[in-house]
Amino acid sequence: MISCTEFIPAYSELFKFLDEKGGKEAVFRFWEILSDNFLGNLRELAEKKGLAGCFEYWSRSLTEEAADFKMSLDEDTGLFEIDMRYCPSMGRLLEEKHIKPYEYYCEHCDTLYRRVLEPLGFNYEIDLSNCKDAKCKLRIKKMKEDYEVQKI
Amino acid sequence: MPDKIKVIDCKQSDNEYLHKDFHGALCYAIKYLDDNFGEKATEEYLIQVGKTYFKPLSEKLKREGLEALRSHWKNIFKKEQGEFNIYCENDKLICEVKQCPAIAHLKKTGSFFTDRYCQTTVIVNKTICNDAGYQFTCEYKSGEGKCVQKVWIENFEQATRCRKV
Repeated sequence: MISCTEFIPAYSELFKFLDEKGGKEAVFRFWEILSDNFLGNLRELAEKKGLAGCFEYWSRSLTEEAADFKMSLDEDTGLFEIDMRYCPSMGRLLEEKHIKPYEYYCEHCDTLYRRVLEPLGFNYEIDLSNCKDAKCKLRIKKMKEDYEVQKI
Repeated sequence: MPDKIKVIDCKQSDNEYLHKDFHGALCYAIKYLDDNFGEKATEEYLIQVGKTYFKPLSEKLKREGLEALRSHWKNIFKKEQGEFNIYCENDKLICEVKQCPAIAHLKKTGSFFTDRYCQTTVIVNKTICNDAGYQFTCEYKSGEGKCVQKVWIENFEQATRCRKV
């Protein structure tokens, strides 16, 4: 068994393998499939509870992953933010000196979550400028109500 | 703080690292590889994982003998709360998995599971063992969540290390 505590290095090696076999397109397509099939719980929570659902989803996943983070939700202004001070995913890869992370590893968070949340009417922004130091920032905002009118 | 504002502020040390949902992501990875590149490619990937990430474990097995692997398996099965028994018999290290914690979690949560999932154990562990000069077998039925893994070496001098386990 690859323990779930050993998954992240296997995940990074998968991205490298897919990139070698089928280029970045193959990696990206995998991320899309994972987003569509694996993140049902986030989709359901966000649909039912909006930003509070996002807060609930990441409360569980980030505590189980033992991340170093600050997460805030302001339902009045419609803003949800995560300040990832030390990502357990990239952080783990940086600590494993004998392997090198996939070059575009952090982009999977952009693809996976954006693909779930934008179709539900959220604005999704992620700052990966410091991701090589295992830091990033995420902002999700409720779209303005007139967005729904434009969609129609 | 107003009711409509919520904040969580956590350090790494506040929580234990254990996110079992990752087992589901690995199932999707196996399926994606099988569907798009074939089962041979899936095997190549798992060999790559065995040879790269698990290289230190393989080296430790070569250096220290079966105790290195026994200790590793005991550690991960305990963390994941699997039901297992690890012992030495006739110079072989035997791991009887009575309930695989990964498969148990996937079934309990109604998550996607592929019968090919057990290849992650078979191929990765075979790679770790073979690279250290050991033989490895895994007897299982897909999806049952049970297996018997055996590790041994065809060399008397290194076989004595097993007796210390």
